[in-house]
Amino acid sequence: MRSSVPTRPPRWKQLPLAARIAIGAIIPLAILGLWQFIIVLDVIPSYRLPSPTAVVLAGVDLYQRGLLGIHIAISTQRVLIGFAIGSLVGLVVASFVGLSRIGTLLLAPTLSGIRSIPSLAWVPLLGLYMGINEDSKVTLIAIGAFFPVYTVVSHALRNVDPQLLEAGRAYGYTGPRLLSLVQLPAAVPSVISGLRLALAQSWLFLVAGELLGASMGLGFLLTDSNNNGRIDRLFLTILLLGILGIITDALVGVLERWLLKRWG
Amino acid sequence: MTRKITLAAVATAALLVLTGCVAGEGSNVAPKPEPEATLPGSWSSDVLNIDFATYNPLSLIIKDQGWLEDTFGDKVTVNWIQSAGSSAANDALRAGSIDVGSTAGSAALLARSNGSPIQAIDIYSQPNWSAIVVGANSTIKSAKDLKGKNIAANAGTDPYFFLLQTLDEAGIGLDEVTITQLAHADGKTALEAGTVDAWAGLDPLMSASVVNAGSKIIYDNPDFNSYGFLNATEAFLTKSPDIAQVVVSAYEKARAWAAENPDEAAQILADVAGIDIAIAKSVLLDRTALDIDPKPGAKQEAVLTIIGPIFVESGAVASQDQIDDALESLFNTDYIDDANPDLIG
Repeated sequence: MRSSVPTRPPRWKQLPLAARIAIGAIIPLAILGLWQFIIVLDVIPSYRLPSPTAVVLAGVDLYQRGLLGIHIAISTQRVLIGFAIGSLVGLVVASFVGLSRIGTLLLAPTLSGIRSIPSLAWVPLLGLYMGINEDSKVTLIAIGAFFPVYTVVSHALRNVDPQLLEAGRAYGYTGPRLLSLVQLPAAVPSVISGLRLALAQSWLFLVAGELLGASMGLGFLLTDSNNNGRIDRLFLTILLLGILGIITDALVGVLERWLLKRWG
Repeated sequence: MTRKITLAAVATAALLVLTGCVAGEGSNVAPKPEPEATLPGSWSSDVLNIDFATYNPLSLIIKDQGWLEDTFGDKVTVNWIQSAGSSAANDALRAGSIDVGSTAGSAALLARSNGSPIQAIDIYSQPNWSAIVVGANSTIKSAKDLKGKNIAANAGTDPYFFLLQTLDEAGIGLDEVTITQLAHADGKTALEAGTVDAWAGLDPLMSASVVNAGSKIIYDNPDFNSYGFLNATEAFLTKSPDIAQVVVSAYEKARAWAAENPDEAAQILADVAGIDIAIAKSVLLDRTALDIDPKPGAKQEAVLTIIGPIFVESGAVASQDQIDDALESLFNTDYIDDANPDLIG
């Protein structure tokens, strides 16, 4: 449990920001250097490995065509909406299942059954009933975001320290007040890690959704480039997906600090 | 109770282990099963990886008749890999997982323009395989009505370039339609489910959709199709010209066989594609010309010269120079000149 005794931050956090960034950049820069080195050696033909310059130029070309922004924007939008819906529903259902016995008995078996179906298996059904459009893609991402949040949070709520609950009840808290003042705060670290997992899962499902029928977005760009043999664009897309993943994960980090400050 | 379940689980796991691993589709990491003949004998390689595709009827005939296997005996292992479309075949050629692959001419030019070292060694057909198809109850009557619609197509294949040419001719800009990226079979499903308004279709899927689902062809133009190209990787041609020669000779034998046995050829197509024999006949006899000059040359160049600039415009290829270079080096007529169908089988 989080204690109120102030602890010293770990030593690495005492390093100046610039130094931390520099250390973190060592491996990416080394990979970039190795990549360029392989290109200079000319051991892998360019149709199998584009040069870093070619990848940058592919990005510039797409930007000049006015396409790069659209692909990034639509994919980010799909992820954020799907993630928001999926994780909210996940939190609500997890609270119900984690806190009430009847919820557990009623929902847990069905949900664990559904969870064990690889969620990508839903893709053809979503296309069939919702059409190939924003709705089906966002729904797929929401499904992807739902389960990590549901699993982690319901488990955490079920295992909140009974003594804390006793104390809460002693103060006269019940139902929603007990949930918002005692149980959820105790589960905050789990909520955060559930959200983190859900976000990573959202990007995964975005690509899956866009691979199977799309006219824009990074997953589309990936398939389109592969079909056309434009591997410079292929590499660009993969890099962009990585960078966007890091950025959105950092946003969850901001949320984490805020939540911990409020409830931690 | 729990002990029983644990026992059952352990027993199942043990069973899975005991049955051993299945070979799957091959791996570069896992050890390869020893071929029966480890000595290459008189051939330059002991393996040939070649594709077959429902859009390439000659490949189906050669596979069905087993001519390559008969010619090579146990000296060369022939691995047949199915291609779902030109882009899939190009993907496999680029990865080196097939030596010989069938694509549309447009797709072969596209791949070569983007650096994939392939050469066309035979023209297997002049197909009228692409068209724009709409659902049974669609109000779309002509290409002009496609404006503002959602159209399914598989980028990097002939139907896709057929669509681009159709839109160009109808004066519709690429920003005035939504082109949804779907593999050929998925595009057919999406059209029939009504999730897209139109589909740039490919035979035999397209003919099957017309007959079975009542889909309608609203635009058809044989001149927009770019021939069927049999492509080989340069690495394969350098290492195994003898095997490439056998492949081309087998294709010419299949061409003659198809002319003499049209009904059997249609039956083979029907079996592999899982379609009705009547549909297979209409695809093979009405919409595909196999009896053509198999040597890549002026006719193909004429079509590709028209399609090339569309690649640049749509962003599939960075510059026209790459297309010009590719067109100059794409055709390889050495093998078709020396083809001898009598040596096969």
